[in-house]
Amino acid sequence: MIRRIAVLGVAFVGLAFLVLPVVAIFARVPPGRLIGQLGNGTVTDALRVSVETSAAAQALVLLVGTPTAVVLARRFRCRELLVSLVELPLVLPPAVAGLGLFAAFGRFGLLHTAIPFTKLAVVFAVAFVSGPLYVRAAIAAFEGVDANVVAASRTLGAGPTRTFFRVVLPLARPGLAAGGALALARGLGEFGATIMFAGSLRGVTETLPLAVYSAFNVDFDTALAVSALLVALSAALLVALKWRPSLSISRFRFAASS
Amino acid sequence: MNALLTIFAAASLTNVFPQIAPKQHYSFGGSNALAAQVEQGAPADVFASANTSIPFQLYDQGLLEKPVLFTRNELTLIVPKANPASIHAVADLAKPGVKLVVAAPGVPVGDYTRTVLHTMKLDSVLQNVVSNESDVREVLAKVALGEADAGFVYVTDARTVRGKVATIGIRWTAQPRVSYAVAVVRASRHKVAARAFVKALLGKAAQAKLRAAGFLPVR
Repeated sequence: MIRRIAVLGVAFVGLAFLVLPVVAIFARVPPGRLIGQLGNGTVTDALRVSVETSAAAQALVLLVGTPTAVVLARRFRCRELLVSLVELPLVLPPAVAGLGLFAAFGRFGLLHTAIPFTKLAVVFAVAFVSGPLYVRAAIAAFEGVDANVVAASRTLGAGPTRTFFRVVLPLARPGLAAGGALALARGLGEFGATIMFAGSLRGVTETLPLAVYSAFNVDFDTALAVSALLVALSAALLVALKWRPSLSISRFRFAASS
Repeated sequence: MNALLTIFAAASLTNVFPQIAPKQHYSFGGSNALAAQVEQGAPADVFASANTSIPFQLYDQGLLEKPVLFTRNELTLIVPKANPASIHAVADLAKPGVKLVVAAPGVPVGDYTRTVLHTMKLDSVLQNVVSNESDVREVLAKVALGEADAGFVYVTDARTVRGKVATIGIRWTAQPRVSYAVAVVRASRHKVAARAFVKALLGKAAQAKLRAAGFLPVR
């Protein structure tokens, strides 16, 4: 009995620790102020930049990440090494990610591009840190597809392309969707690599997280209000996900470790 | 004097403060960001700002003891050594496609930058800004890295990366009044040591080191 109470107590503390900072933001921001922020030009610009860059990064992640995952889901030599390389951006400090992007795509980087400080730079930074989340999930999803079902489809006369689109993809879909949603949510909050590689300019590269940071340096109340907006947006994303049980994150077996 | 102090100081003091007092805890950043942290109760003992308005505002709020001016500085335009956008005067910043990096409004050097451009009737140059950074060292880093074509920093910052950037002077009539003020934080638990630090900063030895780093004496 006492043990049960102790476990419940610890669980309560754990929940409170995770929930309190989020609740506290709303406790300090009356709903009127939150709505009022939608009339603040800096905030609407940041919201627009966030939505645009997140959408573009998500498209990039899905279009490039899916074939990458298909290949990495096969068994071959050095596969583990490649998978680890793909996962590396997940554990890199954001500042290192930002420097790496400069070293690769900067004016004096390996590829000599003019990408830094543009909207595309934000897309790159977001895709670099959110992509691995999706690819990881997609590899697991493709690995989970029963090889016998695929073989059956082939013996029944379907070509590899038809088998992929009619059999493999539908079976892997829940895992792909969960991975995609996680990547999107992570990308929306991207900060460190973006502020280094893309800089911060209103209407061009200043995303919501960057707007929170610059507002904090000037005016704590505005920073709180923008944070509330970001929380609301992320919560909406999570709820939208939970409403479709087939896409539920909790069923996604990598969720616990990522 | 033996207590280890936590000193919040403007990013432009990053190199010189540890030369003056090596064994302290330092947190360098934009003066406005540090002020926001002090307002939120950060455990600072001393706050040194790259302007006077921020510390006097905190003084009025009862968060600081009375600030004192301890040094001055000047602004300069810097370009990467290779000068990819061939900028040779402040007016060249108006050329289309120039990637100019400045500090954000509210950051002291960001405000000074806008004052300079306004005095020189070059406000339109701000259209070429590609990023508003949160402190002067971020501006410095992006120009020294060669990724930005130009940026406004303090003369003392430019001297720390001599091999990597070239400076373009700003005529003295357009120079803003850049004064640094320092104060003891009211909530400090090491007030005696903190006051001693502030006093030492005004002393000969510290002033000589500031001068050697390119800072100017308070008039």
